[in-house]
Amino acid sequence: MRVIAAVATCLFLLASPAAAAPEDVANDISNEIMSPFCDGVTLHDCPSQEALELRDRIEAWVSQGQSRTQIMSHLEREFGAGIRAAPPAEGAGFAVWLPPLAALAAGAAGAWAIVRKWSRRTHTALPVSVTMTSEERHRLDHELAMLRTAASREGERP
Amino acid sequence: MPLEVQGQSLNPLGLGSLAGLGRPSLLAALAFAAASVVLCSLGARRARRDLSDAGIRAAVAAAGFTSFATFCLLTAFFAHDFSLAYVASYSSRSLTGAYTFSALWGGMEGSLLLWALLLTVLGAIALTRASSASTDLVAWAGAVFSSVSCFFLFLLAVPADPFARLAAAPADGQGLNPLLQSPGMLIHPPLLYLGFVGFSIPFAFGVAALLSKRSDDEWLRATRRWTLLAWSSLSIGIVLGGAWAYTELGWGGYWAWDPVENASFMPWLTATAFLHSIVIQEKRRMLKVWNLSLILLTYVLAVFGTFLTRSGILSSIHTFSEGDVGKYFLPYLALVLIAGIALIATRLNALSSENRLDSLLSRESAFMANNVLFLAAAFTVLWGTVYPIVNEWLTGLRLSVGPPFFNRAFVPIGLAIIALTGLGPLISWRRMRGAALLRLLRVPLAIAVVVVAGLGLGGVDSFGALLAFGLCAFTATAVGSEFVRGSRVHRRREGLSWPAALGHTVARNRRRYGGYVVHLGVVLIVIGFAGGWAKVERSRELDAGESMRVGDYALNYEGLASSETPEKQVNDAAIRVTRGGREDKPGDFVTVLHPQRNFHLASRQTQSEVAIRTTPLEDLYVVVTAVDADSAIVLRAFVNPLTWWIWAGAFVMVGGMGVLLSGPSPVSVTVPAPRRLSHAAATSP
Repeated sequence: MRVIAAVATCLFLLASPAAAAPEDVANDISNEIMSPFCDGVTLHDCPSQEALELRDRIEAWVSQGQSRTQIMSHLEREFGAGIRAAPPAEGAGFAVWLPPLAALAAGAAGAWAIVRKWSRRTHTALPVSVTMTSEERHRLDHELAMLRTAASREGERP
Repeated sequence: MPLEVQGQSLNPLGLGSLAGLGRPSLLAALAFAAASVVLCSLGARRARRDLSDAGIRAAVAAAGFTSFATFCLLTAFFAHDFSLAYVASYSSRSLTGAYTFSALWGGMEGSLLLWALLLTVLGAIALTRASSASTDLVAWAGAVFSSVSCFFLFLLAVPADPFARLAAAPADGQGLNPLLQSPGMLIHPPLLYLGFVGFSIPFAFGVAALLSKRSDDEWLRATRRWTLLAWSSLSIGIVLGGAWAYTELGWGGYWAWDPVENASFMPWLTATAFLHSIVIQEKRRMLKVWNLSLILLTYVLAVFGTFLTRSGILSSIHTFSEGDVGKYFLPYLALVLIAGIALIATRLNALSSENRLDSLLSRESAFMANNVLFLAAAFTVLWGTVYPIVNEWLTGLRLSVGPPFFNRAFVPIGLAIIALTGLGPLISWRRMRGAALLRLLRVPLAIAVVVVAGLGLGGVDSFGALLAFGLCAFTATAVGSEFVRGSRVHRRREGLSWPAALGHTVARNRRRYGGYVVHLGVVLIVIGFAGGWAKVERSRELDAGESMRVGDYALNYEGLASSETPEKQVNDAAIRVTRGGREDKPGDFVTVLHPQRNFHLASRQTQSEVAIRTTPLEDLYVVVTAVDADSAIVLRAFVNPLTWWIWAGAFVMVGGMGVLLSGPSPVSVTVPAPRRLSHAAATSP
C-alpha cells in the first residue's frame, strides 16, 4: 500500500500541465456550457452555425488573454444563468451537488447498519438454501464421493 | 423499391395497405388483455386453474392481435398509404426498404406500438413457458402482466392512435428524419425496448409473489433467464445508441448525459444491482424485500424514462417523437409505485432474511456494497436529470444540469464499482480472513502499480486517467486470475491442456464465468472511456488544397464531389490524411477520408456524415460542418484515443451474455449449512 501511495504521489508531482492552446481552452469552456441554440446539448456538441460562431468568439476571448471566469461571466450576462451546464457547488447551486453525496453516504451507512445487525444475529438452525444447476449438483456429489474415499483411505492407514 | 400497380402501391408481400384492420385489431387486443386481467385474478383468488389458463390464453390472443395490428401498419408503410397521418409523417416514396421498415418506430405512436408488441408477445411466451411454476404465481403474474399491457394498449387506442387518418392524403410523405436513417437505428430501438419491456416479466412475477403471499424464490427462478435477456438487450441497446451518436451526430463523442440516454441508463443501473443481489437471495435466502424493491424500481424507472422522453418536459437531441401521452404516464407510475410499496410493506415480516451474515468480510458484504454504489449511481443520474424541472417548479428559474455535473458526480462512483468488480470475486462467501484476501490481492495490485507507473512515466499526466487505467489493470488481473485458478483445477484433475481446461471451467459454471466475461468487457469499455483524457479536437475553414493539423495528423482538403440520388444531394469531401510530417517534411500517407454534407430532399434537412479511421490506438474522426458556394468547407477533426476498446468491450460483453444465457436453468436444492467453510471450498469453481 505504501508503495502504491508513493508511486501515485510521485506521478502526481511529476505531472506538469503544459500550456493549453486557445482552441483547447475554448473547447473545454464550450463543454461547460449548454448551447443557447440547440435543445439539451452543450455548446461543444451543438451542430448549428450560431454555435460555431459562439465557439469562435470564445476562442477569440481566450486568445485575448481573458480568464475562464471572465468568459463565463460574459456568457452568463448574455444568455442567463441557465447557460452553465452545471451550477457551481456554492449557494443555491449546492442543492444539485449535495443530494447524490448524501444518498451515497446514507446508502453506505444503511448497508453498514444492516450488515452489522445481521452479523450479530443469533445463528438459527435454518438450512442454507443453495440454488444449484444439475452440473453443480453432479460435481458436488462427485467431490463428496472423492472426499469420502480419501477419508476411508485415511482411516485404513495404520 | 415498392411495386406500383394501377396507381396502388403494393408491399413486398403482395398486399395493399391493411391499415383499415389495424385499429379494430388494437381494440380487440385491449379487450383480450382486459379479459386476461379479470380471468387470471379470478383464477388466482379462487384457486381455479381453468380460469387462470383461460386468462393466459386471452393474453396470448392479445399478443396475436397486437402483432396483427403491427403487421397492418407495416403494410401501410410499404404500400405508401399516406392517408395515415403516421405513415405520412415518417416515410416517403424515396425511402429505402429497410428504413421504411424502421420508420415503424420513427415516431411516438409507432414506438408505443413496438413497445406493446414486445410486451404482449414476451408476456405470452413467459406465461405459457412458466407452466412448471406454481399455479397461483403464474395466475397472478398473468393478471399483473396483462394490466401492464392494458395500459399501453389504452395509450394506442386513445391518445396515440397510429392508425389515425388525415382528411386528405398527401402525394408523398415527409420522410424519415435523416438522423434515423442509420443501420444502427434498425436494431438500436428494438433492443432498447426489448430491455425495457423485458423487465416487466420479473416485475410481474415479483408482484405475483407478493400477491400470492409467497416468500420463496420461485419468482426469481422462473424469470432469471428473462431478466438476463432484458438486461443484455438493454446493455447492447445502450452501446448501440452510443455508436449511433458517435457515427451520426458529428460531435466526436458517444455519450452526452442527455435525458434520453439517462432514461435508458437509470433502469440499467438498478437492473444491474438487481442481477447481483438476486445471487444472495438464491444462495443465502437474504435480501428478499430488497430484491422486490429493486425490480419495482427498475420497472418504474423504465416507464419513467419513457414518460420523460415522450412528455416533452425535457429536451433531448435523441427525442424524435413527443405527444400527448405524458399526462397518462404520471398517474400510472404513481399507481404502480404506491401499490408496489404498499404490497411490499404488508409482507415485510414474511420476507425477512432467513440467514445471518457470518462476517463483515464476505462476498455477501461485497454484493451489498455493489448495490449501494449502483443505487447511488442511479440516484445521481436521476437527480441530475430531473433537477432542472424540480428547480423550475420550486423557484421558477430554469437551470441546466449537463455533462460537467454527471462526469464529476458519477465517475467517482463508477470507478469505485470497477474496483469492487475486481475485489468481489476474490472474497469468499460467508467469511474470509483479511490475511487470505491480502494474499490474493498482491498480484492484481502489483500489476496495477506497474501499469500506473508505466503510463505515468510514458507521459499520461491526468490523475483521473491514471486511476482509471490502474483500476482496470487491477480488475482485469483479479478476474483473469479466477479463470486461471478454475482452469488449473481442471487441468490437474483431468489432465487437460490450458485451452481445454479453460473451456471446461467456463462450460461447467456458465453463470459465474459468463459474469466474469461480462466484467472483462466492462473493463475494456472503461479503458475506452479513460482514453478520452487525451482527446484532441481542431476546427478550420478550408479551401480546396488547404491543410490543417490535428494531433499528429495533417489533413489536406483535396476537393468536393457533388452528386444527387433520389433521396439526397450528396457533397463528398476528399480529405487526404498523412501522419508524422512537419512544416519542412511531408508526413507518411495514411488514407483518404470522405466525410459528407448532404441535403435530404423529402425532409429538407442538411445532415453531415462523418468519416472515421479507427484503430485500437486511436480514431481519426472528421466531419464537415458547413459547405459554402465556392466549395470551401468547415472541417472539424478529432483524435479520439482508445475509442475502439469501447466497441471491443461491448463485443466481449455480448460473448459473456451468450455464456450466461446458454447456462442451464438452476434448480433449487437445500443443503445443510456447513459449520465452517474454508476459502478454498468457498471459492472453488
